[in-house]
Amino acid sequence: MEIQERDGITIITTDERLDAVVAPQLKDAVNKLAERSETKLVIDLEKTRFIDSSGCGALVASLRALIKSNGDMKIANPSPQAKTLFQLTRLHRVFEIFDDLEGAVESFTAS
Amino acid sequence: MDDQISVRIEVPAEMILLRPLDHFVRIFLGQLPEFSSRDDLINDLELAFDEAFTNIQRHAYTSEKKGPVSIEIKVGSGSLEFKFEDRGQSFDPSSVQAPNLDKPSEGGLGIWLIRQVMDEYLYHSEADGRNVLRLIKHFPRGAGNSP
Repeated sequence: MEIQERDGITIITTDERLDAVVAPQLKDAVNKLAERSETKLVIDLEKTRFIDSSGCGALVASLRALIKSNGDMKIANPSPQAKTLFQLTRLHRVFEIFDDLEGAVESFTAS
Repeated sequence: MDDQISVRIEVPAEMILLRPLDHFVRIFLGQLPEFSSRDDLINDLELAFDEAFTNIQRHAYTSEKKGPVSIEIKVGSGSLEFKFEDRGQSFDPSSVQAPNLDKPSEGGLGIWLIRQVMDEYLYHSEADGRNVLRLIKHFPRGAGNSP
C-alpha cells in the first residue's frame, strides 16, 4: 500500500489484493488521515486484482470515517473482479467510481 | 464426477496462509481446461474459497484457540467442490442474516457472498467435533470453450 499526496488530495494505491490480511491497515491509515483532517482521498485500485468482503468492509469504513470528518473518498481503476463485486454488493451505488486516477482526482477540484 | 481430480491439504487456520492458499487455488484452477478461459469463474471460486477460509480462521477458531483446517478440492467433469473441515466453534448458517445492501456495513457479507457465487452451501457438524463445509459449483461441460 502506497500513500502519496497531490495538491491536497491523498492517493492510496492498494496492492494486488485488498483482503482480510490488509484491510485493517487500510482502515488505520484512513483513520489517521481523518484525524489530521486530510479528508480528500482517492483509493487507486490500479494494482489490485482481487477484493474480498473484508476489503469491501474496509472501503465502507474508510468512506464513513471521511464523511464523518466532512471529507470524501473516490475509487479509481477497479479491476473486472472489483467491478463485479461492487455491483453484486450494490456498493457501486455507494462509492464514486472512476475508470482512471485523473478522473477521480479531478472530481475533487471540480466539486 | 467422472475423471475427477482431487487435492487435499491440512494446514493451520492462520491468516498468514490465506494468500498462499488463494494463490494455489487460482493457479490450480487455471491449469484445468474447464477454467482455462474463464477468469470470471475463477474469480468467483477464489472469492468463495477466500471467504470460507477467512471465516474459519476468524470465527471457528480464535486468537486463543487455534487449530487445523483440512481442505479438499475436487473437480469433476461438471462440478467443483471445496470441502473444509475444522475442529473449532460450530455455527448455524441459517441464523446468519442476509445483509441489508441498502445500508452497507463493514462486515457480514462473507457467507452471503459465498452463497451468491456458489451453487450449494452445505454445512454440518459431526459428533466427533468436526465442522464440515462443502461448497459446490456446477458448470456446463466444455465450459473452457466459452468466451
